[in-house]
Amino acid sequence: MISYILRRLLLSIPLLLGISIVSFAIIQLPPGDFATTYQNFLINQANMSPVDAEKAANEYRKIYGLDRPVYEQYLNWIKGIVTEGKFGYSFAYKQDVGQLIAERLPRTLFLALSAHLISTIFGIVIGIYSATHKYSIGDYAATVFAFIGTAAPRFFLAIIAVYFLVIELKSPYVNRFVSPEYSFAPLSWAKFVDILKYSWPVIVIAGFGGIARNMRVMRGNLLDVLNMQYVTTARSKGLREDVVINKHAVPNALHPIIMYQGTVLPYMLQGELEAAIVLNMPSLAPMFYSSLVNQDIYVSGGFLLIYSVLLVLGNLIADVVLALVDPRIRLS
Amino acid sequence: MANKKLKSASAVILRAREHESYGTLVWRRFRKSKIAILGGLMVIMLIVLAIFSDFFAPYDPVRLNMRSGYIPPHRVHFIDAEGKFHLRPFIYGWKQVLDENMFPKWVEDTSKAYPIYFFVRGWEYKLLGFIPMNIHLYGLKDPEGMIFLLGSDKFGRDIFSRSCLAGRISLSMSLFGTIISVAVGSVLGVISGYFGGAVDTYMQRFVEFVQSFPQLPLWMALAAIIPDTWDQFAVFVVMSSIFALLSWTLLAREVRGKVLSLRETDFVLAAREMGASDWRIIFHHLYPNTLSHTIVVLTLTIPTIILAESFLSFLGIGIQEPLVSWGVMMREAQTIQTLGFNIWIISPVFFIFIAVLGWNFLGDGLRDAADPYTIL
Repeated sequence: MISYILRRLLLSIPLLLGISIVSFAIIQLPPGDFATTYQNFLINQANMSPVDAEKAANEYRKIYGLDRPVYEQYLNWIKGIVTEGKFGYSFAYKQDVGQLIAERLPRTLFLALSAHLISTIFGIVIGIYSATHKYSIGDYAATVFAFIGTAAPRFFLAIIAVYFLVIELKSPYVNRFVSPEYSFAPLSWAKFVDILKYSWPVIVIAGFGGIARNMRVMRGNLLDVLNMQYVTTARSKGLREDVVINKHAVPNALHPIIMYQGTVLPYMLQGELEAAIVLNMPSLAPMFYSSLVNQDIYVSGGFLLIYSVLLVLGNLIADVVLALVDPRIRLS
Repeated sequence: MANKKLKSASAVILRAREHESYGTLVWRRFRKSKIAILGGLMVIMLIVLAIFSDFFAPYDPVRLNMRSGYIPPHRVHFIDAEGKFHLRPFIYGWKQVLDENMFPKWVEDTSKAYPIYFFVRGWEYKLLGFIPMNIHLYGLKDPEGMIFLLGSDKFGRDIFSRSCLAGRISLSMSLFGTIISVAVGSVLGVISGYFGGAVDTYMQRFVEFVQSFPQLPLWMALAAIIPDTWDQFAVFVVMSSIFALLSWTLLAREVRGKVLSLRETDFVLAAREMGASDWRIIFHHLYPNTLSHTIVVLTLTIPTIILAESFLSFLGIGIQEPLVSWGVMMREAQTIQTLGFNIWIISPVFFIFIAVLGWNFLGDGLRDAADPYTIL
C-alpha cells in the first residue's frame, strides 16, 4: 500500500511539471503584462505623461524580470518553488504568492471539504431513503431536488444568496471569512462558529450539486443491490428490514460512491470557485479571478498549479480509500 | 429435400428483413420514458425560440431605448382593477411611487389597460435571415405602452426578446464545442483502441494528462486571454474550441473501451479475413457500434458547456457584448445595488435552467435507450 502511494506520488511529479509548463504558457500568452496594467494606471490615475509612464513600466519590467525570455521566467519560477518554496511575486498584492496561498488555501480546502462532507452525508442518506421508499412522495421530491441541484447554475444560486443575505436579511456576515475580532485568534469553538456564519452559503451552494449527484448514484446502486439474491436470503432468514438494508445492502452500494469521490472533489472545488467569486469570500477563488483580469501571472500560475495538485491528490485518495473498503480491488 | 431446405432458408432471410432496425428499437424504448420525451420537447422549444427569435421578440433585442430602462416584468391580467373579466389578456403599466421610508417602489398604474394582441405588426426583421417580415407573436397595438414579460434591462431592451436571441449563441456554441470534442474524442478513441500497443499507451497517458487539468480554472484562464479586439466570429470559434479542449477525454476513453472489446469479436475477424482494410473495419464495422455511446456523451456534454459558458460570460471573460448569451445578460447582477433594485435582470437563468434540464433528461433517456437489446 505504502509503496503504491509513493509510486503514484512519484509519477505525479512529471505530470505536475507538464501542467506547470502548460499553465505558465497559457498565462504568458496574452499580449502585455502587469507592467502594462501599471503603465495604464500611471497614465490614468497618476496623471503621468505617456513617455514617463512607459519608462517607469520598463523599469518595473527590469526589476521583476518581466523583460526576460518566457522560458527563463518559467525556469526561475519553478526553481523558486522547488528550492525556496516561493511561488513568485504577486504584483497586485505586493508579496510572495506562496504566502497568499498559505493564507487562503486552508480556507478553500475548508470550504470544499465541508461541501464534500455535507454532499456525501446528505446524498447517501437521501439516496437510501429514496431507494427504500421507491415511487413515494418523498422519492419524487428527492428526484426533483436532484434535478434542480444538477441544472441550477451555481453562480445563480450564489446571486440569490447575495440577494437574500444583503438586501432582504441585511446580514452582516458577508464578504469576509471570519469576523475581525477573531482574525488573529487561535482556532477555537467560538471562532469556528463565527467562520461558519460567514461561510455556510458557499458550502451549501458548492455542496448542493454534489448532494444531488450522490443521491442519484446511491439510489440507483441500492436499488440494484436490493434486487440481489443475498438480500432475499437475508430477508428470508427473518432479519429485520433495517438490518437487511443497513448491514447487508448499503455497504455494498457504497463502492461506486467512493469510486466517484475522485471526480467529486474537483466538482466541489469548482462549486467553491463559482460561489466564492460571486459571494466575494476571500478564498483562493476571487483572487484567482482578479489575477486573470489584471495579468498577475504568478498568482494565476501558482493557483492553477495548486488546483491541479488538489486534483491529483484527490484522485489518489479516492483510489486508496476504495482499495481499503473493497478488498476485491488490488492496487498495482 | 434440398428444395425444402432452400425454402426454410429463404423464410429465415425474409423474417430477418422484417426485423426492426436498431433505430426503431431505440425509438421504441426512448418513447416509453416520459421524462426523456419532456427533455426533448424542452430542447426543441428552446431551439425554435432561438431560430425564430425575431418572431417571438416583441421588440428589437439590440436597439437601445433609454426611456424604458429597468422596467419590472409586466403582469398579464384577465381581470381588471374593477373585477371585470376580459377575454383578451392585458397589462397595466408600471409607475414608481415612494413608500413610507421614501424608497422608490413600483406599483401598477391601473388607470389605463393595454390589451395584448397576437400576430401584431412591429419592428422589421428578416426571418431566417432572408424573409423580410414585421409580424410578431405578441405585442401591444397602443404605441404609448410597452410590454416586457421578463422586464427590461439597463438600456431598456426587452429581456425576453434578448433571451430568445441569446439562445442562438448559448445553444450553438455549446453544440459546436461538443461536436468538436466528440469528433476529437471518437477519432482518438477509435485509433487508440484499434491499434493498441504503443499508440494506445501514449494516447492514454495523454488523456490522463489532459484529465488532470482543473477544468473550470483552466477554462477561466484560457477565456481570459481572448483579446477584446477580436471580431465576434473568432471569439465564438475560439471559445467553443476552449470548451472542447478539456471535454473530449471522457468520450475518448469510452470509445476506446468499446472498440477494444469489439476488436476481437467474430464479425471483425471475419471482415479482416476477407481482406478488409483497417479504414474499412474502423469506419464500417467499429465506429457505427460506438455511435450510441457518442450520442449519449454528446447530450450530456452540452449542458456542462452551457453552464460553464454562462458562468464565464457572467464574469465578463467569455462572450462579450454585442454578442449576447444568457450569461452575458446576467452580468449586471454582479453589482449588488443593481441586483437589489432590479431582481428581474437574472431571469435569463430560466432559459439556462430549461436548457440544462432538457439536455440532461434527453441524455438520460438516450442512455437507457441506446442499448435496446438488454432488458431493463
